[in-house]
Amino acid sequence: MPPKETPSKEDEDQSSFSRQTRKVRDLFSIPPPVKKLFDRVPIVVYAPNQLPQRAPKPARIPSLYVFSTSHDAAAGKPSFNPSCLKWQTFLNIASVNHRLISSNNHASPTGSLPFLLPAVQSNSPQDALLPVTSNKFVKYASNHGGWVDESPSMRYEAYQSLLDHRIRNAWLYTLYLEPLNFSSVAYPLYVSSTSSNPLVRASIAYQLRLAAETELLKHTSIIDTDDLYSEADKAFEALSSLLGEDSWFFGNDKPALFDASVFAYTQLLLDDSLGWKEKKLCRALRTRDNLVRHRERLLVRYYGG
Amino acid sequence: MLELHVWGPAFGLPSLDAHCLAAIAYLQQAVPRGKWQLIASSDPGLSPTNELPALRNAEIWIGGFRNIFHYIAQLSAGEWVLDAGLPEQEGADCIAFSSFVESHGQPLLDLSLYVSSQNYSAVTRPLFNTIQSFPLPYLTPPALRAAAKARTEHLRLAGLDIDVEDGQQLSQELSFIPDSLRRPKNTVSSLLAASPEANARIRLDALATDFLEPLQRLRGRKQFFVSDAQFSSLDCLALGYLCLILIPDLPQPWLAKTMKAKFPALCEWTEGMRDTVFSKNVSLNDAFLTKLGDSELDVRLRRLRGRGHLPWRAPENRGAAAVGSAFVARMADSIPVVGQLRRNTRMRQHGGKTPGEGTQDSRWGYLYAIGGLIAGLGVVGGYLFQQGLISFPVGDEEKRGLEDFGEAGRALSFLADQMDGQVQRERMREGNYSHGAPIAEVDIEVEKDGVVAVETVS
Repeated sequence: MPPKETPSKEDEDQSSFSRQTRKVRDLFSIPPPVKKLFDRVPIVVYAPNQLPQRAPKPARIPSLYVFSTSHDAAAGKPSFNPSCLKWQTFLNIASVNHRLISSNNHASPTGSLPFLLPAVQSNSPQDALLPVTSNKFVKYASNHGGWVDESPSMRYEAYQSLLDHRIRNAWLYTLYLEPLNFSSVAYPLYVSSTSSNPLVRASIAYQLRLAAETELLKHTSIIDTDDLYSEADKAFEALSSLLGEDSWFFGNDKPALFDASVFAYTQLLLDDSLGWKEKKLCRALRTRDNLVRHRERLLVRYYGG
Repeated sequence: MLELHVWGPAFGLPSLDAHCLAAIAYLQQAVPRGKWQLIASSDPGLSPTNELPALRNAEIWIGGFRNIFHYIAQLSAGEWVLDAGLPEQEGADCIAFSSFVESHGQPLLDLSLYVSSQNYSAVTRPLFNTIQSFPLPYLTPPALRAAAKARTEHLRLAGLDIDVEDGQQLSQELSFIPDSLRRPKNTVSSLLAASPEANARIRLDALATDFLEPLQRLRGRKQFFVSDAQFSSLDCLALGYLCLILIPDLPQPWLAKTMKAKFPALCEWTEGMRDTVFSKNVSLNDAFLTKLGDSELDVRLRRLRGRGHLPWRAPENRGAAAVGSAFVARMADSIPVVGQLRRNTRMRQHGGKTPGEGTQDSRWGYLYAIGGLIAGLGVVGGYLFQQGLISFPVGDEEKRGLEDFGEAGRALSFLADQMDGQVQRERMREGNYSHGAPIAEVDIEVEKDGVVAVETVS
C-alpha cells in the first residue's frame, strides 16, 4: 500500500527528530533533585544597604555642586569656573534658594559641573530626587517658583554664540595654555586642590592643558593666538554695543540668563584676586566701561559686593 | 599681485569649502580686479596655519579667512575693507552673526557633506579625485571626515554614519532566532529608520531651522544681511555657508530640502548673490584653465559674456616630489606621536612667519619627511599584513570543522567544544594527580566478619 507509506515515514522522521531535540534539551535541563532543592528555597529580597557615613545628608534646600573652595562655598561666593558661575548667578537671579557645595567633575552624573541635587521632601516621589543637570536648570527654576524671564530676540542666539565660542576659546587659551596664567591661576584652583601628590598633580595639569588644546583644535587646524585674542576683543566690542546705556541686556528691566552668561566671564576676568599674570584678555574687557559697570551691578546685587 | 589659494571647485561653485567661498566673495567685492588671482591649489600645507584659504603676497603667506581680511585692510591702508562705515549697532550685529554663522553652520555642513556616509561616499569623497593629484585623495577626505565627526560628536547624530551602525547590527544578529523565521515588524520607528537620515530627520530639521531662522529674521526685507546698501563681511561668510547648504545635489538632500521648504527668501537671496558674486556655473575647466579645443576667440567671447569672471590662474604643476612630500607630511600628521609633535610646533605665538623661523621650519620639515617616510612604509606594510594581502603560508585546513555544515554545524560545534573542554578538564585533573604522589587504589571488601581493605599502589 504505497499511499500509506509516506506518512508513516514522515512520522518516523519527526519522532526521531523530536527524540534528538529532547536529548539535546535533556543535556541542558536541571537535574530533578537539584530542581527540588531550589524549589524549597524561598526568594528573599533584602532591604537596601545603608548609605556610608560620609554620604551627603539629605538637605532641606537644594544643593548646587560647583567648582569652589569649601570656604568660599560656605560663604556663597562666586565659583571660579565660568559655566558654574553662570548657573550659580542664574539661580540667584531667579531667586531659587540653594546652598553651594564644593565639588569636582567626578562627582557629576554627566561628567561636568554644575549640577543640582533637589531638596528632600517627605512626600516627594523617587525621581524628584535625581540630580538636575545644567541644561534643565531653567525648567527647574520655573517649576520651583523661581522667576524666569526669557526675552525672545533674534539676536539672542547670535550674541550667545559670541560667548560660547569666541570668548570661551580665548578664555580656554588664556587660562590653560598661557604658561604664566596656568601656573598662577589655574594650577592653584584646579590642580593643587585635588591632590598633594606631585605625580598626580603633574598628570592632572597635563590632562587639563591637553583637553583645552584639543577643544581649540577641533575648530581650527592650529592655535592662532593673535586670532583668538582679536576675535575675543571684537566679541567684547559687540557685547558692549549691544548693552549700550541699558542696565541689563536686551533692554530688560531685570537681569536674566544672558546677563548671567556675560557675568560668568567678566567677573572672573576682572577679579584681581585670582592673580592673572598675562592680562591681554582682561585689558580688552577693561576698556569697555559699560561691561565693567554691568559686572559691578550684578556683583553688588547678588554677591553683596 | 595677491594670490588667493583655495580648495578646488565643486558643485558648480568655485570652492567646496565655506571659508574659501567667503574669502573669494570678499576679495571679489573688496579688491579691484586685476590686483588678485584665484588659484585652486587644494593643498593646506601651503598655508602657515595649515588651512585654506591662504593669501600670498610675494613672500608673505597669510592663512585663515579672518587673517586675510585683516591683512588686506592693512595692505590697502583701510581702503579694501567691506565693513568700514557700518553704524555701531550694525557693526556689532556683523561680528555676532559672523560667529553665529560659523558656529552653527559648520556642524550642518559637516553632517551633510562628511558624516552622512551616503553623501560622503557618493559625492564628497570622489570630488577630491578631481581637485587633488594622485595619492592625496586617499588621505585628505578621511582626515576631513574625522575632523567633521569630532566637531559634531556632541550632537549625538553619529547614526548618520552607516559605517558605525553596521557594527551595531552585527551584534543584534546574534539573536538565536534565524533570520528566515523572524517576522518583520513594521513599527513606526522601523519605517522611519529606512535610512539613518530619515531616522534623525526631526533632529536635523531642528538644527537647520535653528541656523536659518535667525538669519532670515536678521535680513528681513533688506538687500543684505546687516545693511540695505553695503555688502559686509557677514554677507561673504553667510553666502559661503548658504551656497554649500543649498546648491550641492546630494543623495540625502535633507539640508537643502529644509532650506527650500521653509526659507524660500533665503534661497532666492543665495541664488541671486551666487550668480553676481561668483559666476554662474564654475567648472573644473574654468579653474584649471584647461582648453576644451576652444580657440582664443571663444575664450575671449566667454569672458565678455561674463562667464568665468573670477580671475582664475592654473595651479603650478608641482611635480611628483612636491606631491610626495605633501603626502608624507599628511601621513605624518595621522601618526600618533609624530602628529602631536608637528601640531605643537605649529602653535603660532605671534604674527606671521619671520624668515629665520621659515628656514628652521624647512629643516624640521625635512626631518619629519624622512621620519614620516619610514613610519609610513611601516604602516603600509602593517596594513597589508592585516588585510591579508601578504601573508605567511599557514595551513588553513585544520581550522575547518563542523563550521562547514551551516547553522546546525555551528550549534553542534558549540557542543563539541564544550565536550572537548570537559574532557580536557578531566585530563587536567588526572594529570594533577599523577604528577604528585603515586595513585593509591583502595578496594574495600565487605565481609561477614568485618571489613577487609585491599590496598594496591600503582
